[in-house]
Amino acid sequence: MIKIQLVDDERNILSALRRLLKPEGWEVHTYDNVEEALGSLLEHEYAVIISDYRMPTADGVTYLQFAKQRQPDAIRLVLSAYGDRESMIKAINQAEVHRYLSKPWEDHEVVSVIRSAIDLYQLKKENQRLRQENDRQKDMLRAREEELLRLEAENPGITRVQRDADGSVLIGNDD
Amino acid sequence: MSNASTPQSDQELLNARLEQANQQLLQSEKLAAIGQLAAGVAHEINNPVGYVYSNLQTLDTYLNDLFRLTEAVDSARSLDDLRVIKQNIDYDYLRDDLRDLLAESREGIERVKTIIAAMKDFSHIEEEEFKPADIHRGIETTLNVVNNELKYKAEVVREFGELPEVECIISQINQVVMNLLVNAAHAIESFGRITIRTRQQGDTAIIEVQDTGKGISPEHRHRIFEPFFTTKPVGKGTGLGLSLSFNIIEKHQGSLDVDSTPGEGTCFRLTLPITQPDPNNE
Repeated sequence: MIKIQLVDDERNILSALRRLLKPEGWEVHTYDNVEEALGSLLEHEYAVIISDYRMPTADGVTYLQFAKQRQPDAIRLVLSAYGDRESMIKAINQAEVHRYLSKPWEDHEVVSVIRSAIDLYQLKKENQRLRQENDRQKDMLRAREEELLRLEAENPGITRVQRDADGSVLIGNDD
Repeated sequence: MSNASTPQSDQELLNARLEQANQQLLQSEKLAAIGQLAAGVAHEINNPVGYVYSNLQTLDTYLNDLFRLTEAVDSARSLDDLRVIKQNIDYDYLRDDLRDLLAESREGIERVKTIIAAMKDFSHIEEEEFKPADIHRGIETTLNVVNNELKYKAEVVREFGELPEVECIISQINQVVMNLLVNAAHAIESFGRITIRTRQQGDTAIIEVQDTGKGISPEHRHRIFEPFFTTKPVGKGTGLGLSLSFNIIEKHQGSLDVDSTPGEGTCFRLTLPITQPDPNNE
């Protein structure tokens, strides 16, 4: 199941977002403080993390930077009522956020941005899975090649089977 | 210069002009301070507006679901049909959540209302006369205006004592308290505590604003009430806050003292007479 983490010091914002996202069927976890949100990163794997910008104790960009270290694959979003230039630059350059959303928000916009973030997350995951699969197959191929080389070194010619016109295996010197 | 009566009236004229210029300076400093708070106030309002707006959109979906049920009362063939719809729209969740949705939205609108009212209280130009006023109410109004500057920097602790109504120009006292609170928040580097204390001492009222910030260095100490003296970065302070506060308190026949330990914090103490001394008796 797709898990989404919401972090905002304002509980009513969390309730509103929870209502908004309920029909989508994602598992939504909400946190009104950064400390607990950080803790939950050790227990759950999130597809998308959405954080407020201005919060007591730590700002959203700092939190998302931590989150990036713990869960580099999760897609990060900022939802902020504080859209000044400095905070946006920090969000983009330091926390590498996917989108910067502002409050008040349009419901359909938030939902579609989260959907695209989930797509991106799944693409990343699929990409990783394929690369692992590819690596595993390459390893298998390499092991086979090495085995063939070893056999050939021990018994020269053994890896090359020669047949005559009717398909019988020829043994002995062929030249 | 030619006759003896003009110097007297000249001086009166100049005094009146000086008084007027002072008033204008006071007002423009207040507006500048509000301007600097504007970004914070926008944030403070955008949060409740954000969730109320979203809740209204959700309410629309809920209503459509409920109408689906009520309209089916006429068209459904059996009670079971209605029960199926009721289950489909997750009626129990909807009913509980509707109450929460409305309560939270009301809370949001209340907050916007409080902030707007505080801004309005605060920017009042009239009320230039001394009147008995509730200092605690003034402090709460001021806290509402500067809440956004404070809540990310400090925990605000109120230690209010018993205070009678104090004869003052409350909008000006609010302005002083705002300056002290914003200064306190700016002095705190990461997260600290701001304590607002009030008490009555004899025939004076005392308001203290204490922070756990970086303190005022001794070489700056004697300059803090000078006009245009500031250690804040450009755009953060006008350098007029404390000097105007000092003037306001002087006009109230009170005093403004400071106690500061670098690295530990600062405490500003505002002493105001509860009733203004009668100027005719002086």
